[in-house]
Amino acid sequence: MANPSAVCNGHLHHHHQKQNNLLKSGIYKKNGITKGMKKNGISNGTLYKKTFIEHFEQAPMYVAVLTFLGFGVGTVFGYLRDFMRAWGLEKRNVATEREQQKDFVPLYQDFENFYTRNLYMRIRDNWNRPICSVPGPQFDLMERVTDDYNWTFRFTGRTIKNVINMGSYNYLGFAETDVNALKTVTIELEKYGTGICSTRQEMGTLDKHVELEQLVAKFLGVEDAMVFGMGFATNSMNIPALVGKGCLILSDELNHTSLVLGARLSGATIRIFKHNNMQSLENLLRDAIIYGQPRSRRAWRKILILVEGIYSMEGSIVHLPEIVSLKKKYKAYLYLDEAHSIGAVGATGRGVVEYFGMSPDDVDVLMGTFTKSFGAAGGYIAGKKDLVDFLRTHSHSAVYATSMCPPVAEQIIRAMKCLMGLDGTTQGLQRVRQLGKNTRYFRRRLHEMGFIIYGNDDSPVVPLLLYMPGKIGAFARRMLEKNIGVVVVGFPATPITESRARFCVSAAHTREMLDTVLNALDELGDFLHLKYSRYSKSSHPELYEETRLED
Amino acid sequence: VQEKEELIEEWQPEPLVPPVPKDHPALNYNIVSGPPTHIITVNGKKCINFASFNFLGLLDNKKVKSAAQASLKKYGVGTCGPRGFYGTFDVHLELEERLAKFMRTEEAIIYSYGFATIASAIPAYSKRGDIVFVDEASCFAIQKGLQASRSNIKLFKHNDMADLERLLKEQETEDQKNPRKARVTRRFIVVEGLYMNTGDICPLPELIKLKYKYKVRIFLEESLSFGVLGEHGRGITEHFGINIDDIDLISANMENSLASIGGFCCGRSFIIDHQRLSGQGYCFSASLPPLLAAAAIEALNIMEDNPDIFQILRHKCERIHKSLQG
Repeated sequence: MANPSAVCNGHLHHHHQKQNNLLKSGIYKKNGITKGMKKNGISNGTLYKKTFIEHFEQAPMYVAVLTFLGFGVGTVFGYLRDFMRAWGLEKRNVATEREQQKDFVPLYQDFENFYTRNLYMRIRDNWNRPICSVPGPQFDLMERVTDDYNWTFRFTGRTIKNVINMGSYNYLGFAETDVNALKTVTIELEKYGTGICSTRQEMGTLDKHVELEQLVAKFLGVEDAMVFGMGFATNSMNIPALVGKGCLILSDELNHTSLVLGARLSGATIRIFKHNNMQSLENLLRDAIIYGQPRSRRAWRKILILVEGIYSMEGSIVHLPEIVSLKKKYKAYLYLDEAHSIGAVGATGRGVVEYFGMSPDDVDVLMGTFTKSFGAAGGYIAGKKDLVDFLRTHSHSAVYATSMCPPVAEQIIRAMKCLMGLDGTTQGLQRVRQLGKNTRYFRRRLHEMGFIIYGNDDSPVVPLLLYMPGKIGAFARRMLEKNIGVVVVGFPATPITESRARFCVSAAHTREMLDTVLNALDELGDFLHLKYSRYSKSSHPELYEETRLED
Repeated sequence: VQEKEELIEEWQPEPLVPPVPKDHPALNYNIVSGPPTHIITVNGKKCINFASFNFLGLLDNKKVKSAAQASLKKYGVGTCGPRGFYGTFDVHLELEERLAKFMRTEEAIIYSYGFATIASAIPAYSKRGDIVFVDEASCFAIQKGLQASRSNIKLFKHNDMADLERLLKEQETEDQKNPRKARVTRRFIVVEGLYMNTGDICPLPELIKLKYKYKVRIFLEESLSFGVLGEHGRGITEHFGINIDDIDLISANMENSLASIGGFCCGRSFIIDHQRLSGQGYCFSASLPPLLAAAAIEALNIMEDNPDIFQILRHKCERIHKSLQG
């Protein structure tokens, strides 16, 4: 077996791709554990100024077989139960249509909800768990029990206190209730109230918004920025303003729903390239320019590449230097959605652009949300002044949707000032460093224990693969018994064979909390047989730490 | 290959954004300093505010603000997660219960942005191949929801029931040609309680008659009529005295009368529960910040305790209409 830490060209490469891509899905799967070195034409070794390590290990074959078997059994029982329900042998627990409307066309086809009724319903108690405290590194959960196998829930009235929170997107720990930290927010709330009741182009632009936009532009190092009330709406309402019919959108396979919705609403042609696969993207670009639009053969008006900074289900970071060089060569435009990466990666928290040491002018449209790292709500788009001016006039959100509410804007302002050091302390920088340390420690320990973890070593989103449907429910419930709250995801958010648990590391987690979680994972991994990884522990653990002392 | 390289060299895209004239009104926007209440300071000048949708004047109400302050102390600002992943707070559940009780329906569901409410609700039920009859003057959010749903859209003239009936009859004759397809094609009518673009009210009793005659479901968008029409502010169903169960889905946003941010849909559990898994703005977006939910609950309390504010609002509207019409 090849040495896992083989070094070539001075860069550690665990992740590679074959030249002729025989694989169906975009996620690199290799039969067995062979490794090779990158051989494609783009010499990406020189584009990356620092080591770029990603892992996408494939589980042994028996795991895939057992996973399909698990789903098969679930489906068979689902059919059995539907049959029994249709014939009245079992009680129907679902809500039904009104008597007066029984002869209307049915609202839901039976088969659409098969998965929901029979498979999702069994493990439904692991989602939508209500909490009753601030979503910091620890929170209080409301205790819920079910008397009829998850069809209905009942609150017992007790709360489970101090559950360690590995599920909320609280990367820099700004979700806090410290009175000093929230002083300015309290003042603004008293002064402005909660609502706006108007859109941006009417009476909705407050001086707070202007202040916030200038601060965002300064933070990112661009000319101008514009903020919106909701992150999801930022994508779905601004992509149609930028591209229309006759344009081409090249979107990554695993893009978020908001990007997909925005692309569909715009009316442009959409082509999908395999996840983080630069060869696939280049092929698409060449075909687009050479062959033009599908039927008329006219040239495309514009080409827009849609990517995300960190992909929330994979934990992988976009290959930004390669994309920028491709974009410059083929004269396309780049739209970067930094929902998870702003504040979370980069030496001072400025996102993937800083992480790779590139200049923000390379990216045409920088988009991000304030929900994750800043503990607020809303989104922004930043870039050159022409772009932002155009969006102020033509964006659907500016004309029809309300603007951000003032206390939330103030929270973002104070978080950003803290990050930039404008409030006089180094607290912001400390948080970013703490997050980096926590991330690397957490990932290293999980690798050592033998779990299969996806994604880049620097991303605070850590997906741990569970594969089998039965383990999804078991894992989440047992972790809750140990007072740790985790997030599990299955089909349809992930491919059907790759259900996973996703951890979000936060700067507010202390070393003790992470150790508690890791010990619990160790125990549970042995109990549920989750340690699928076939790589032995690296015999030089200090090699990882040393290369990461600098940013 | 040489030819291909030349093609790549020669191709020039359009600029990413076309240049915008510098004196476009949206670029020289009005900056409001201080709260956008009835007396509003625009560009430094104090004005009387006839532009915001602050119908019940709850924007600077002391009780609403103190409820929001208490929630801020307890929960912080953001929720850091979508509803499915620890983003459900007890305030959200409480607000949903209160809204369902106020509107006298079985269940309600909350969205974190008013625009996203109807724009996510329509595509959750109406898919490609279904038919939606919608009013010509419907608002932009409804249009975006219809575009995202990819259904067949049939526009009828604004508030013209005869035109709608004609379209429904045409659809019936189409159905007879292909009864198998007709049995699985869902049909919806989407109307607004109070139209944002024209300011009229839709004729709801006639719509209900058409609903049962032609077997179509009704989605009612009550963003402007919630908290305005009706004796207790329950909207257009109370205004006309219609049984609320006759309407399949009522969607409204809380950004007008309730002086908060966000939106909600209410109706029977059979219909609303579906959105918890298939409403895109609900599943894939962070939940409403708890301080806004607490403010909305307090605003609901005020609405329930003082039902005479709706009478006062109605008197003032009638007075203005009479004076402007001469």
